[in-house]
Amino acid sequence: MHTETIAISLDLINRHYQEPNRNRYESKYFWEELYRLIAASGFSAIEIPYEPVWQFGGRSGVPMNRYCVNTKYESAANYRALLKESGVDRVTGITFDPNLFMRNDNLGFYFGATGHFAHEALAHAADMGADYFAISPSPFYGRILQYHPDLESQKEAFTQRTAEMLGGLATKAAELGVTLVLRNEYWGLFGGERVLPLLDALPDTVKLDLDTANLFVAGTSAADFLAAHGGRIGCVHLTDTDFVDTADVWKTPNPEFPSHRATQVFRDPGTGSVDLLQIAGLLDRLNYQGPITCSARQTRDPFRALLRTRSLLNQFQK
Amino acid sequence: MPNIHYANMSHWKSIPYKKIDNFREFYYEDKTNSAYYSDWDNILKYQSALGFDGIEIAPWDMADILPLFGSPENFTAFAKERGVSVIGMFHGAHASHAADHFDEAVRSGREAVDTIVRFGGTYMNTCPTQNYYGTGPLSREEVQQCAKVMNEIGRYATDQGVKIGLHNEFFCAINLSNHRELIETTDPRFVHYCIDTAQISIMGEDLLKFYGDYHERISTFHLKDTASSNQPDSLRFSQDPEITDDGTRWFWEPGMGDLDLKGLYRLLKQHEFKGWMSIEYDGSPDLLASMAMTRYYLDKELRPIYD
Repeated sequence: MHTETIAISLDLINRHYQEPNRNRYESKYFWEELYRLIAASGFSAIEIPYEPVWQFGGRSGVPMNRYCVNTKYESAANYRALLKESGVDRVTGITFDPNLFMRNDNLGFYFGATGHFAHEALAHAADMGADYFAISPSPFYGRILQYHPDLESQKEAFTQRTAEMLGGLATKAAELGVTLVLRNEYWGLFGGERVLPLLDALPDTVKLDLDTANLFVAGTSAADFLAAHGGRIGCVHLTDTDFVDTADVWKTPNPEFPSHRATQVFRDPGTGSVDLLQIAGLLDRLNYQGPITCSARQTRDPFRALLRTRSLLNQFQK
Repeated sequence: MPNIHYANMSHWKSIPYKKIDNFREFYYEDKTNSAYYSDWDNILKYQSALGFDGIEIAPWDMADILPLFGSPENFTAFAKERGVSVIGMFHGAHASHAADHFDEAVRSGREAVDTIVRFGGTYMNTCPTQNYYGTGPLSREEVQQCAKVMNEIGRYATDQGVKIGLHNEFFCAINLSNHRELIETTDPRFVHYCIDTAQISIMGEDLLKFYGDYHERISTFHLKDTASSNQPDSLRFSQDPEITDDGTRWFWEPGMGDLDLKGLYRLLKQHEFKGWMSIEYDGSPDLLASMAMTRYYLDKELRPIYD
């Protein structure tokens, strides 16, 4: 495997949850040093979560949407030049999740805002020269249920509107030369293998994300999933976990934080129970040539996570 | 019975758990201090232990608090069991200067009041409109429009037992040139004022003179220090100045900046201020340490002047 092309996701920085020193993450200086540290740990490509929230309230130091990039660097081109100067040659992908917009009982608001910002994020992915735009096709199942207790009876209509929105994004993505990829996090309406009917309703240009930890949590073997859907994989996320959801945590409003038993669901790559060496070998055998991104989401220490991830990648067969 | 009760303005980012029952096990997963900042049970206990009996919540907390607790009433009961009352919530009256936004600004303000009532709070500290950049300078008519919205929300709030307090940030469209004009255009029966000691000083007001001039309008305080008073227009009116690119802090714990907070307390005594004072720690890297530093300063330096 050519580990030098593997990207690291900027989701290793905890933007949203309390911890000492978190305030650093809102200032530009922190990110500009981080890029150099990412390069020093052997990564020359990154993935960026697209987060509209930083557009509101003057927090434009977090470089996770078009507004912030334009505010601090005037243009995507200038930002990419800064990345390059810091040793980060490429933005491989942009991710997007719509949880921010599931905040009331108005589905018109949800689909309107999600559609608007997803299109903006897709255009940003093109400006960044990204290979893929990976979208979570639904908010947390439990978050939807919070505002729409009749979700089960509305599921068909919700799925239909989601497919229409994704269809529009698929057309735009094809025009822009970016691969639209569906994520199937365990907590979504379309988690695990529940994403497959939705994928079937979309053009063949739309691909699947293979996220190893998310499949593990859902009780699905990533190796089996890869063997079954290898031809439709648009990007791979090498993620790790020790957690298997045996208590329907995926249906709760805050599914990354199991309320019955606190645990760090996502572990730094190489420190959990997912056999990432096996997955890497399988990807090689299938001659998978698409983008691969490592994610240390929820890490307690981003700098240790970078080195732990590098240590894992060093074990992959060259 | 003290004249001043102390609260914290909540600047905790998302707290993902209500209460962690497996604390030791959670700690051992990665042996870091994450467990210490991950549940409301402990956050509220920290406050209570340090003598902060109130919490002022923020609207951006709602998306996490409501799914976690199920309702405002449940959060309030949970906090109360740990010795903390919800005293109110911050509110941003977005675009209240725009005449065509009147209905929306009032609707949103009333909804916020209703939310506060459900939490059992009695204060709504309200930023009168958005940032200067992209909006200012406001015309006199626009300032009057802001006042009209504040009066309307204030009338409704008063009926619900909530005091709204104008709260100005140093980078708002309501700024040094029209700040006092707004106060004086609002109806003192319905619209009060929350002095954010650092924000108004950075904006260019003299803290002691301002309090002396408006002490009858003051409903509450956001107490924090600064070492950056009297910033120029070019900075206050720039795009997104609150979070600096190089990590420079505008706000410090009381006693860590250069505001005359002892002078303020002498004035509080002179005017016999009674009520809640919220301490604010925005910009702190360690909210728990800031709380403890503040408690020490309050007890040793400020409360001996006026309690």
